[in-house]
Amino acid sequence: MSIKNKLNRLKGHLGTEKDKQPTPAKVSKNNINVPFKEVWEAESVYPYYFEDSYCLVREKEYSLDQMHGIYSFGQFTAAVEAWNSSDIKHPLSAAGHRPENLFFFDTETTGLGGGTGNTIFLLGQASLHGNKIKLKQHILPHPGAEVPLYKSFLESIDYSTMVTYNGKAFDWPQVKTRHTLLREHVPKLPPFGHFDLYHAARRMWKHKLERIKLAAVEKDVLGIERKDDIPGFLAPMIYFDFVERKNPEGMLGIIKHNEIDILSLISLYTHLSFQIMQLDKKQTPREVYEVGRWLSTLGESSQAKTAFNKISEGESSEALDARFALAFEHKKHKNWDEAAKLWKDIAEKGLMNMKLISCIELAKIYEHRLKDIGQAIMYAKKASNMMKDNSGGETEKLKIKQEELHRRIVRLERKFNRN
Amino acid sequence: MKVRKNLPEIMKELISEQKYKDNIVHWHTIEEKEAKTAGLPEDIHPSLIEAFQKRGITRLYTHQKTSYRTAMNGDSLVAVTPTASGKTLCYNLPVLQTIVNDPDARALYMFPTKALAQDQKSEINEIIQESGLDINSYTYDGDTPANIRQKVRRAGHVVITNPDMLHSAILPHHTKWVSLFENLKYVVIDELHIYRGVFGSHVANVIRRLRRICRFYGSDPIFICTSATIANPLELAEKLTEKPMKLVDNNGAPSGKKHFVFYNPPIVNKPLNIRRSATLEARKLAGELLKNKIQTIVFARSRVRVEILLTYLQELVKHKLGPKAIRGYRGGYLPTQRREIEKGLRSGEIYGVVSTNALELGVDIGQLQVCIMTGYPGTIASSWQQAGRAGRRHGESLVIMVASSSPLDQYVIQNLDYFFNKSPETARINPDNLIILVDHIKCAAYELPFNAGERFGTFETEEVLEYLAEERVLHQNGDKFYWMKDSFPAHNISLRSASQENVVIIDQSDTANVKVIGEMDRFSAMTLLHEEAIYLHQGTQFQVEMLDWEEKKAFVREVDVDYFTDANLAVELKVLEQDKLRTSTIGEVGFGDVSVVAMATIFKKIKFETHENIGSGPITLPEEELHTSSTWLSFNKESLNYKQDRLEQGLIGTAHALKHIVPLFVMCDPQDVHVVPQVKAAHNEKPTIFFYDRYPGGVGLSEKIFGGIEHIMHETMEMVSRCSCEHGCPSCIGTDTSSETGKKDVLRILGSFKNGVNQAGDKFVH
Repeated sequence: MSIKNKLNRLKGHLGTEKDKQPTPAKVSKNNINVPFKEVWEAESVYPYYFEDSYCLVREKEYSLDQMHGIYSFGQFTAAVEAWNSSDIKHPLSAAGHRPENLFFFDTETTGLGGGTGNTIFLLGQASLHGNKIKLKQHILPHPGAEVPLYKSFLESIDYSTMVTYNGKAFDWPQVKTRHTLLREHVPKLPPFGHFDLYHAARRMWKHKLERIKLAAVEKDVLGIERKDDIPGFLAPMIYFDFVERKNPEGMLGIIKHNEIDILSLISLYTHLSFQIMQLDKKQTPREVYEVGRWLSTLGESSQAKTAFNKISEGESSEALDARFALAFEHKKHKNWDEAAKLWKDIAEKGLMNMKLISCIELAKIYEHRLKDIGQAIMYAKKASNMMKDNSGGETEKLKIKQEELHRRIVRLERKFNRN
Repeated sequence: MKVRKNLPEIMKELISEQKYKDNIVHWHTIEEKEAKTAGLPEDIHPSLIEAFQKRGITRLYTHQKTSYRTAMNGDSLVAVTPTASGKTLCYNLPVLQTIVNDPDARALYMFPTKALAQDQKSEINEIIQESGLDINSYTYDGDTPANIRQKVRRAGHVVITNPDMLHSAILPHHTKWVSLFENLKYVVIDELHIYRGVFGSHVANVIRRLRRICRFYGSDPIFICTSATIANPLELAEKLTEKPMKLVDNNGAPSGKKHFVFYNPPIVNKPLNIRRSATLEARKLAGELLKNKIQTIVFARSRVRVEILLTYLQELVKHKLGPKAIRGYRGGYLPTQRREIEKGLRSGEIYGVVSTNALELGVDIGQLQVCIMTGYPGTIASSWQQAGRAGRRHGESLVIMVASSSPLDQYVIQNLDYFFNKSPETARINPDNLIILVDHIKCAAYELPFNAGERFGTFETEEVLEYLAEERVLHQNGDKFYWMKDSFPAHNISLRSASQENVVIIDQSDTANVKVIGEMDRFSAMTLLHEEAIYLHQGTQFQVEMLDWEEKKAFVREVDVDYFTDANLAVELKVLEQDKLRTSTIGEVGFGDVSVVAMATIFKKIKFETHENIGSGPITLPEEELHTSSTWLSFNKESLNYKQDRLEQGLIGTAHALKHIVPLFVMCDPQDVHVVPQVKAAHNEKPTIFFYDRYPGGVGLSEKIFGGIEHIMHETMEMVSRCSCEHGCPSCIGTDTSSETGKKDVLRILGSFKNGVNQAGDKFVH
C-alpha cells in the first residue's frame, strides 16, 4: 500500500483539518517572473532581485509637517534635539544621536510565539532622511526568498539605534533566529542600540490601559485613528493565502497595518520623550508622577524631585502620592527633617497603607536620626494600632511587618526606660 | 532470646525447614566473579586522573576501558552493563577528556527522567570539581530558571536533559543553541532499554531531528548508549540513532556469589488453582530477614502493595530496629530523600527498603544483601535489574522471586530454563509508524525546511511531504518544503503516546489542588477510563468519577480498594490489506493492516488475588475505529471440527492464555497488544485469533508476533498443560470458559497448529 493511501486512511488519527480546499497547481521553478507585478507597482511596490530570486520592496515618504495623531513627524526631530540639551540620563535618551541615526522597526510573522519555524514575512522600517520620513518595507513573496529579503533589509539599516514596540522580546530575537538559518548567504547582523517603547508605555499608562497593546496606546494616548485596519492576528492566515494565490489583495492590508505601526512608533517616541523630559504641557499629574517614579528608580533623584514637586501641592491623590514619594527621596539624601515633615502630613491624610508606612518611617527616623525616643514610640504605637484596625485580610506580609513592629516597640521601650 | 542469624544460616533454614522448602521450586547459584580491570589510559589528563584517584578509582573495569577507546576512536557504541557496574564512567571519561582536549567541544546527555538527570549532574560535577578543570555541566529541563538558561545554551559543555525537553524546547529553538550544535561531539543516551515501543519510536524520530540539525550546523556527534541487559541492545541502539554502533559487553565489574531462589506460594484452593497471596509470602520472608538485621530490598508492583508491606514490616521490627529502619521508596522521591536513604543504608541505620519498580532505573542506592520480588516484574530484563540491587562485590547475596497466581508468573516459575538460558526480551521500536513519523516530520519542517528528495533518517519523505503540502501544513516552493502554519507543532505532540487526541486524566482527590496526572489515547480510554473504572497510575489506585468524552477529560479520585476493573470490548475486525501470509494444511498465519471497530459494553469488578467477579456495570460510549497492524492465525475448518459453542469456548480460552504469554516475547506492556478470537473472521470465514497493536498504525509488535508465532503457541501450550488445575483457571485459560472440555480444547488448538505447520514443512522465522 502506498504511504499516501495509508496516510489518508490514518487521517482521523493525524489531527489535520477536516475541510479541504482543492489542491492548487504546483509552483513551477521560479524564473524571476513576479506575479501581479502591475498590481504591486500601482502600490509602489517593486521587486528587489538577488541572484535567481527576489523580494518585494515598498518605499514611501512623508513630509515633516504631516500629522500622525497629535504629533507631526517634525516634532520627532524636536524631541531628539531636546534630549541632546537635557541633563536627564534615561534609557530612551537620544543624547549623542542625530535624528537620522534612529530607525523605527516592526515585523509581521507567520506565527505568534518564538521558535525557529516562525517566519518573518514583512520587515518594516522608517527613519529621517533630509526633510522627509522615509518608510521602507521588505516583503517576502514566498518562503524561499528569505535571502533577498534579508539582503535588501541589511543593505538598508545603516543606523545606530532601533526603536521598536516589544522588539527586545519578540521582533529582534526572531530576526536573529531567521538570520542564523541564512547566515551562510547573507552579511552579519550589525549591533544596534535598542529603544523598546513597550516597557516605557507600560510604566506610563498601565494605570489607565487594561492592555498595553500598541493599538490601545495609539487610540487613547496618541489620538491615532485607524480606518479599515486588519487585526494583527489575521496576518498569518492572510499571508498563507497570499503565498498560495499570489494575489496581493490581502497583503496590501497587512502592509498598511505595518506602515501605521511604524509611523505610530515615531509619534510614540516623540510623546514619551516629551513626557520624560516634562516638556508636554498637557501632561496629567498622574503621568508626571509616573515619570517621577521612573526617574527615581533610575537614580535621577533631582529630576525625580522636580517632577514630584510639580504636583505635590493640594490634596489630590497624585499630590499625596507625590509627597509620599518625595519623602523617600529626602530620606535617600538624609534630609531627615524634610522627610519627617512630609510623612507627618501623610500620616494624617493619606490612604491606609501610606499612613501606616509613614508612621513606621517616622518611628525609624525618630529612633535613629532625630533621637527622640518618645516620638518614636508614639509613631510605632500608632502604626501598631492602625495594623490592628486593619486586620481584616491578614496577609503573610502584614504579619511579618507586625512582628517587626512589635520588636521595634519592645526595643524602644527598653531604650526609653534606660534613659 | 534467640541469637541473631546471619544470611548463610537463614539460607540453610530455607532449604531445610518445612514451611519454606516445599515452596521453593528452584535454587540457582551464580558463582562469584572476579573483577577484570585495566590501567587508566595514558592519554587522560593528570587532573582527571587525580580526581578519579580521590574517588578511589585507580584502574578501569574492562568495559569502561573498551568504551573509552571506542569513543575516542570516533565510533558510536552501546555498553551493556548490569546494575552497579560503573556505567557512568563509560561516557563521562571520553566526554571529559574530549573537552579537556578541546574546550569548545560539547556533549548532550539524555536521561529518560528528570530525577535521573539530577543524579547524574551531581555525579559529573563532583568529578569536575575534584579535577579543578574549567568545565561546565548543567541540567536543562522544565525546572531550569530562565536566568541561567542563556548561560546553559552558550557555555554548557555538558547539557543534561530528557527527550521531552529536547523535543519541545531545544530542537524547535535550535538557533539559540548554535554553540552547542556547532560543536556537538557526543550524545549520551542512558537507559537505552527504556526507549522501546511507542515512546522509543517517538524518541528515534527526535534523534532524527537532532541529527538533521547537527548536519545543518556541520556536526556529526558520536553516540554513547548504555543499556540494561536486553536481547538486542545493538539493534535497538542502531535503530534508535541510525548510526553504526559497536557493542561493548565485556563487563569487568566483580560480583559476589548470588543465590536465586524461586518461591511459589502454596495452593489454597485446589480446583480453582488459587495460591496464597504473593504479598503475604513476601512479607513473611522479609520479616524473617529483617528481624535478623539483614539488609533487604523488597519490590512490589504497585504503590498500594508497597504501603501494605511497609506498614507490616515496620510494625514487625518497631521495637527491635526503630521506626526509621525500614523505608518506602517510590517514584517522585526527591534527590535529597534518596541521598538520605542511601546514607542510611551505607551506615547501617536503614535495614530495609520497600520499593515499586521506580528503583529499576539506574538510581544508585548502593547494594543490599537480599532482594525479594513480590511477583514477576513483567520482563526478564527488569527482573535482572531488580535482582542487581542485591549483591555486594564481595560476599554472598540472595534473590527471592515470589510468584503470584497470574499466568505470566506461573509460566516463568515453571520455565526457569527460559529465564536463565533464553536471551531476555527484545526491545522493539518502529520509527516509521506513520502517525508518529508524520508528527515529527512536521516538527522537523518547523525547524528547517525540507529539500525535495531529502531523507528523514532512513525514511524517504517524498510522499509524506506531498501529503502535508496538500493538507496546507507545508508549502512547496521550488524544491523546498516550508512550514506554513501559525502553530508550534511540538506543543501538540507528546512523546509518551501515539494518537493526538488523548484523554487527559485529571486527579481531583485534593479539590484545592486539581491536577493533570496523565493522558491516554482514546482507544485505550474506552476500557481503562470509563466511569467507575479503577485506573492505576504509578501504582496508585484511582477511580474514574466522570468521563467527559466530548472534551476528552477523565476525572479521577484516589481510592484504596481490593479489586480492579476489566471492561469488555466488543470488537469488529476487518483485514484491510494482507502484507504477508504463510499457509499450511492446518491453517494460515497472516500479517497486515486491519481496521478495528470497538465498542466498550460492560465492565466487571474483579477481586485481587482470588479474581472473583464482585460486580459489574454498563459502559455507554460511542464506538471507536482504530487502524493498526495485526497478525492473525486462521484455522481450516476441517482441522477444528468442533461444534460452534465448543469452538468458541476453545478460541476464547486460547486467546486468554496467549494474551498473557505474548508480552513476554515482544517485551511490551500487557495492554499494548490485544488478542481477539473470532469464530468466523470476515475476510476468510475461518476461525481466527487476531493479535493487534493497540496504537494507531502499529509499533511493530504484531510483526514480531508474526515472526515467532509457532514459538509463542508452543510456549503457551506448555504453560497451560503445566497448570495444575483441572478444567481451566484464572492462571491459564481464564474463567470465561466454563465447560469441562475447555482446557483440553485449548491445548488441542494450541498444539494442532504447531503440528500442522510442521507437517507442511513450511519455513519459519524465529
